[in-house]
Amino acid sequence: MKYIIKLAMVMIPLGLIIAAVPENTTKQYKLTAQEMINEVQTGQQFVHPDAIAAQIVSNDPELQLIDVRSKDEYDKFHLPNAINIPLANLLNPDNADVIDQGIKTNVFYSNGSTRANEVWMITRQLGYKNNYVLLGGLNFWIETISNPEKPRITSPDDEFAKYDFRMGASQALGGGGQVAPAASAPSSGSAIPAVTPKPKKKRAAGGC
Amino acid sequence: MGPLIVNEIIPEGLNLFLAFVIGIGFGFVLESSGFSSSRKLAGMFYGYDTTVLKVFFTAAITAMLGLLFFSLFGWIDLSLVYINPTFMTSAIVGGAIMGAGFILGGYCPGTSFCALSIGKLDALAFIGGLFIGVFIFAEGYPLWETMYKANNMGAPTMNTILGVSRGVFAFLLIIVALAMFVVGEWSEKKFPRDEY
Repeated sequence: MKYIIKLAMVMIPLGLIIAAVPENTTKQYKLTAQEMINEVQTGQQFVHPDAIAAQIVSNDPELQLIDVRSKDEYDKFHLPNAINIPLANLLNPDNADVIDQGIKTNVFYSNGSTRANEVWMITRQLGYKNNYVLLGGLNFWIETISNPEKPRITSPDDEFAKYDFRMGASQALGGGGQVAPAASAPSSGSAIPAVTPKPKKKRAAGGC
Repeated sequence: MGPLIVNEIIPEGLNLFLAFVIGIGFGFVLESSGFSSSRKLAGMFYGYDTTVLKVFFTAAITAMLGLLFFSLFGWIDLSLVYINPTFMTSAIVGGAIMGAGFILGGYCPGTSFCALSIGKLDALAFIGGLFIGVFIFAEGYPLWETMYKANNMGAPTMNTILGVSRGVFAFLLIIVALAMFVVGEWSEKKFPRDEY
């Protein structure tokens, strides 16, 4: 009988504590601060709009664009086939299948880079893979893809090739760009050169 | 941090090795608590020895509190811990068969191996029966497959069924366990046996 009293003296207070405290539902970060700093410094999460545009144009099934702005902004304008996951809903269990998976290449974008990068940092620290950020966000997208600046006449050939590609992509994506007159510049040939997208698949060293 | 294997903190291959080490520890504690004696185990049914109840419920509430505190401190993510699915029909039928076998043979499967390890012949006979049972179940599987898979309830936990938080349920279970220990002590005095 004595041992029951001893056991009770230990178990009941512990039970009371565990009954009184709220359940711990926090998701744990899996990268240490130093690992995170290393990843952020290399900036390898950023994907250039050119690569994304090429993927959209070629209907790459691997690409999943994710708009992390609010729903209103998403409804006003979003990139083709993008889905909307505002930052506030990021950890909603419904979105877990989208942001935590190993098949598609997720690319977050917002107006600039900051918001999308915040989302990327959270997903990265939770240990999710295959998530990237659109470099410069929609602003840079508009600047480069929808409204590319015509290179100077003295620019090297690849500047013109890039320009042609951007004009083509912009047209294919229904942007406002006009095709440059053929005579004005040495053209690289077809309107949409086959730019091989390079989704950055390399995992950071020292990850989980 | 935890679970260690799900979070790839330790390799999966280490899993079986750890199970081996923990299993030996478990068997050692079972033996030293007297679980290798079929009379002691059967005492649970007749009321003259309730060690089984005390040991297993103490283990259960200790492990439960440990997991809940680990979760509170952020050392383990309980949502990643595997919970065995509940098949209600086969749980009831299997429980009845196991109980009948327990009172007939004086062992449960784990304790029979524990008793065999110290050389008990009745345990050897019990394990023989156990393998006959395994054989009948496997060979006759088509006959009871429907019943075996009936009433799948997923992986419910008692606290969600009762609608209370994990912690409150844990506290209630501790109270219930302690109350059962008191009843067990009373029963041992009420139905004593001098030698078993």
